[in-house]
Amino acid sequence: MNRHRPTAAALSRALSRAFSASASAAEPSSASASSFPQKLVTRSNFEAALAELRRHVRAADFVAVDLEMSGVTSAPWRESLGFDRSDVLYLKVKHSAEKFAVIQFGVCPFRWDSSKQTFVAYPHNFYIFPRQELPTIDRSSYEFIWQTGSIDFLARYQFDFNACIREEMLSVCEFEPNWVISGISYLSRRQEDEALRRLNSGDEDESSATCYNSKDAGDIPLVAMADILFSERMKNRLSEWHDWLLQPRNREFQFQGSSNDSKQKFQTLFFMMWPAVNLIGFTSHQLRLIQLVVRKNFKDLTYVHVKGDNVFSQHLVVYTDSKDDRDLLIKEVNNEHRKRAEKKIQAAVGFRHVVDLLSSERKLIVGHNCFLDIAHVYNKFIGPLPSTAEEFVSSVSKYFPHIIDTKILLNTHQVLRQRMKKSKTSLSSAFTLLCPHISLSFAALESYVKVEVEVDDLRSSSWNSGAKHDAGYDAFMTGCIFAQACGYIGIDFKLHSPSESLAENEKLQKHINLLYLSWTNADIIDLTNGNKVTASVEYSQKKRYSNVVFENVVLIWGFPSELKARHIRECFSKTFGVTSVTFVYQMDPTAVFVQFSKTKLVSDFLSLMETLEKNNDPISVLHPLSELLKGGNTRAATYETYKQICGTPISKVLFADQAEAFGAKRKTDFVESSKTAMDTQEDKNPVSENSVFVDLLSAPWGEKAAQAASNYAGKTKPGMIDNLENDSFHGCLSGDEILNSVYAAEETQLVRTS
Amino acid sequence: MAVLQKRLFCSAVPKKWPVKQVTKTNFPESLEEIKRHISSSDFVAVSLQKTGSFSAPWHRLLPFDTADTAYSKAKSSAERFQLFQFALCPFSLENSKLVAHPYNYLLYPRDELKLGMPSYSFSCQSSHLTSMAREGFDFNACIYHGISYLSREQETAAKIRIGNPSPSTLVVDSSFAPSVADSIFMERLKSRVIRWKSACQKPKDSRNEVLMNSLRKLIMGSEYYGSRPSINLDVCSERQVQLVLEVLREFSDELVPLLIPAKSGGTQAVRVVLASSKEDKEFFEEELRCREEEENKKFRGFREVIDLISASQKPVVSYNSLTDFTFIHSKFLAPLPPTIDEFASSLRPVFPHVLDVSHLMKVVRPLRKVANIPVAISYLNNHFFAPVDIEISHQATENEGRNHGLNVIRICHLFAKLCSILKIGSSSTMSGNDVLLAPALEECTNVFNAFSTSSEESIDEDISVWTESTRKVSCEHLVFLWGFGSGTTAGKLKSLLNKSHYVSSKEFDIRLVDKSCAILVFWQPGLAETFLDVMNNSEEITGSLRELVSEGLRAASYETYKRVCKLPIWEADLGESLDRALEDSDCLTEAHSKATPKEIYWSNDDMINLDEL
Repeated sequence: MNRHRPTAAALSRALSRAFSASASAAEPSSASASSFPQKLVTRSNFEAALAELRRHVRAADFVAVDLEMSGVTSAPWRESLGFDRSDVLYLKVKHSAEKFAVIQFGVCPFRWDSSKQTFVAYPHNFYIFPRQELPTIDRSSYEFIWQTGSIDFLARYQFDFNACIREEMLSVCEFEPNWVISGISYLSRRQEDEALRRLNSGDEDESSATCYNSKDAGDIPLVAMADILFSERMKNRLSEWHDWLLQPRNREFQFQGSSNDSKQKFQTLFFMMWPAVNLIGFTSHQLRLIQLVVRKNFKDLTYVHVKGDNVFSQHLVVYTDSKDDRDLLIKEVNNEHRKRAEKKIQAAVGFRHVVDLLSSERKLIVGHNCFLDIAHVYNKFIGPLPSTAEEFVSSVSKYFPHIIDTKILLNTHQVLRQRMKKSKTSLSSAFTLLCPHISLSFAALESYVKVEVEVDDLRSSSWNSGAKHDAGYDAFMTGCIFAQACGYIGIDFKLHSPSESLAENEKLQKHINLLYLSWTNADIIDLTNGNKVTASVEYSQKKRYSNVVFENVVLIWGFPSELKARHIRECFSKTFGVTSVTFVYQMDPTAVFVQFSKTKLVSDFLSLMETLEKNNDPISVLHPLSELLKGGNTRAATYETYKQICGTPISKVLFADQAEAFGAKRKTDFVESSKTAMDTQEDKNPVSENSVFVDLLSAPWGEKAAQAASNYAGKTKPGMIDNLENDSFHGCLSGDEILNSVYAAEETQLVRTS
Repeated sequence: MAVLQKRLFCSAVPKKWPVKQVTKTNFPESLEEIKRHISSSDFVAVSLQKTGSFSAPWHRLLPFDTADTAYSKAKSSAERFQLFQFALCPFSLENSKLVAHPYNYLLYPRDELKLGMPSYSFSCQSSHLTSMAREGFDFNACIYHGISYLSREQETAAKIRIGNPSPSTLVVDSSFAPSVADSIFMERLKSRVIRWKSACQKPKDSRNEVLMNSLRKLIMGSEYYGSRPSINLDVCSERQVQLVLEVLREFSDELVPLLIPAKSGGTQAVRVVLASSKEDKEFFEEELRCREEEENKKFRGFREVIDLISASQKPVVSYNSLTDFTFIHSKFLAPLPPTIDEFASSLRPVFPHVLDVSHLMKVVRPLRKVANIPVAISYLNNHFFAPVDIEISHQATENEGRNHGLNVIRICHLFAKLCSILKIGSSSTMSGNDVLLAPALEECTNVFNAFSTSSEESIDEDISVWTESTRKVSCEHLVFLWGFGSGTTAGKLKSLLNKSHYVSSKEFDIRLVDKSCAILVFWQPGLAETFLDVMNNSEEITGSLRELVSEGLRAASYETYKRVCKLPIWEADLGESLDRALEDSDCLTEAHSKATPKEIYWSNDDMINLDEL
């Protein structure tokens, strides 16, 4: 709910560069430049666009990509937090890639035109939509989340939501427009393999053609008189047709049945090379009866059902001469069926052809802060995401051997960092700063790398699509930034021979295949070996929480909603002393992180919490922690449990609900599991219940306990209580803030003790 | 308003039953109209367009679901998915005439107040979106012009977050006995108020006015609320609020207290506004009421319509009331409570009469298996003579594009036909301010209450309706079987089990729930238990059953299924979920108490019709 915490805003901005990159940039639009058309690709022009793209990608020096998603985080607590450990960060990215849909995919190949000494860019903007084309695939891939904030963001840029789902087709006969699905669907490699495997093992039930020669045709006992009569009639009709077939050829080709009324239902034709009756106009029940009749009475007739696309579906009774002939028919039918099914699977691959193209051409892929994008590409077009970042990057590098991230390049390369002069490295601000000749149609200086954009034989040397925020344009901007950045770091395209790959260029070697695991943490992961690289010293000022000791962190949730981080800190200071807690971070309205100064305090706290819950005597009631435990729903766990919760596929908006759904267990289990992790410490410091209490009574919270006790007994000290209430009231004003210093708490403590 | 009439004898739905399309732009002016229509009608029909329904075959409501498990399923879907269209149709029935006023509201959970409400994120199923797209649903219109809303609970939270002052509604407790501390506090407060008041009322010295004002502001915290002087009195507890109000009571002719809510709930301060006279005070209070009304409209958005229906206390007709009302409850009232009983009792004061058409349809036996409204209507047209005249109050407006929300008229139509066929209600019982429901309708009213209280009577009644092919089965006689590998049919399983000699085929029946799991029903008491005992004590197993168990066959009682739905564990395959529930069960055994055995109906259809919903 606290979407507007500054940190959260920054985090989501970082995570979703795709959504927020140009939010802050004021882009003056030049009329001529902005009128340049977009290359939009939907289902209707996909085939043609793909063929063209193949040509461009093959000739390209590098390909820039960008994705627009239906959202980034399914809940505030899923946002990447400044102190998240890298494995947790990966789980958050994984969850995002699994739950959200890609709705736009921008691909922009860049080719160096040595004759004109300029890059030529071919931006493509694909509208894609996860539509289920094959019935056998697991339904969960076709359910995705929209984040209302992201939609609002896209809406601000006049995003056309209809375009990714439907488009209008004017049908001839009707006045009303006919809507067809416009988003290009896709199958991941894994899904395709799965579909083909099912096809081979023959256990899919939606076979498009089946021979009913075996006994599985559903035994329906003939009980109703109507069924018996109908079956008898069909038997006669079929044997008539059978006899007619075997007669020496007469002139009349069409079979004339004895009864006229049902003539139109029996139509002789050739199925492949066998004579057959096409059964038209029967209900499914009648067809089942005919099937039964054929099986029981005719050895040389076979019932065949050919399921075509959409409504086209044939039911046939086919004549075969011999058993061999019949086996041949069955083989043919199955082959036909197989071919059809394979074709259908091929067609369902859809947009993945583009990703396969990028992968097979092994071109240098350029993205801007693209870890999430790559995760999406992997999840949507390759297969389920691996459970750890290391496995993920090693698989990614198999498919995309060369990836370069312009955000990392701008932030880590010495020359570029100087040029950026600490200005923002968001996509659009970097574009305006580095490529004014393209964005503002400035006269190109010598140092500028020229780029011409080409869409459907139209060319322009500048392109500013103004407010429009879409993947095709973003990919174009990313490519331009990269080209210019290469120019600045001394790669001279004029000397660059076409055979030489940019990916092999030694000036880029230090920066290639590095991605920000999270921009907020400046955690960089190396795709080639999975190593995590910490950003350079100058950049680590971002890392506010670099000193987080995860063993000392406890996660608490389900406490009374009026308690804020500050109150909780007070509870702890009173229990364990003022220096016991180094920070309290409110993750969402239902959960906080607490970092203790010592690892031992984690187990102390967890066991104390358990004891307090069990006991209901006055001492427990008056204990400062009891405020935290009020309501009986308060739970606590270690950072490891938090990681497990992040890894669950469930997406609840409030953390407390998520934890409950994850656990589905008693609260003690959390404490227990945490305790086992702490076993070693506990063994060294056995804490018996009594000793805890004695200890605590002498702790600084004693004073308040005494007051509370007197209050309990009805002897109120007005001034004191007033003061206390005032005090605790103050806390909620800054409740949402991160309290990462102990000073505030110490002050109040001093006031009270003095 | 011109009245458009259409006589319907055939089943074909006329192309243009004009439904008034309401978006953000025409919402405010449509409110008065709908209010009038609701109050002049006898019933209100609703039909919702959702962004998804269920994620796996077994997640839908199945014939063997009890009220509890059905509610768990409906709850999980209502919590995840979103409403894009809410079609609403106040209507009246007079003999065979149906007077309807259909509206279709386009909804979108836009965060109008920038508070992260009403919804941070929601799920969509691409199948639902594509079928909406085929009908020409305009997603841009929905996202750009859809009406937003806040649930009742969110409204309360939003008001606190926004922190607008509200007039005090606190009534000072009569048994109010101030302690010594209280008295000191009150004295101090009183003198402060008096000083401030007299300062404000002093004849104005024009020369020093500005200076005096800023001094006052500095020293006494005096400010202006609109054109009237005001002062903020900070409070630290609800008790202090009481004390402040008690003090202010003495000055009630001139002073108006406003409560300023704290971010964490409760009250942060009391703002006292000084009116120049008694009339001015009344005028000011009126002004406050108007402002609050405006504010509320902004907060509630579409929920205003829900509140109108609720306030009218008219019976609400829905096709599938459990699904629809779990959505309505979670989007417009409050988060769904954990159990169906709590749900029913939370819903009852808001919607006292909810009529379920699909339930009513079951009374007409052949309609039992019909799962869609047009088919049901055409069946009734062909088999019964029950003409219904539909009179729609709106003019068709050709330029409005697609006519969405037709389904709600179909529901009205079906309902009218059923009432006519079943001879339910003459106009006398149906109209009038206090709604007297015909006894026959009672059966389909608040079905979620009916099933959850499980009164013996209602069950007996039901069985007379369901006759022949339905048998009453206790949940104790049901066993879930899974782990038999894919591609098995119910028939194969049955013959395999039959061969095992532990059960004979006459004693049980089996159906597939999804591809991973089957349900086994035993016709005699005790057999299910025996079977489970054999399955779970593997040493005793012999023969083909042993072979099956070695191959991975597992069995569990209905209790396990209940636990799956209660926890809930929504895996894609039921087998998977049951496995997980069993894994967890060890630590939970003490938690599940012996619940009263629930009874459900087992129909003798060949297969559980998985397309039923």
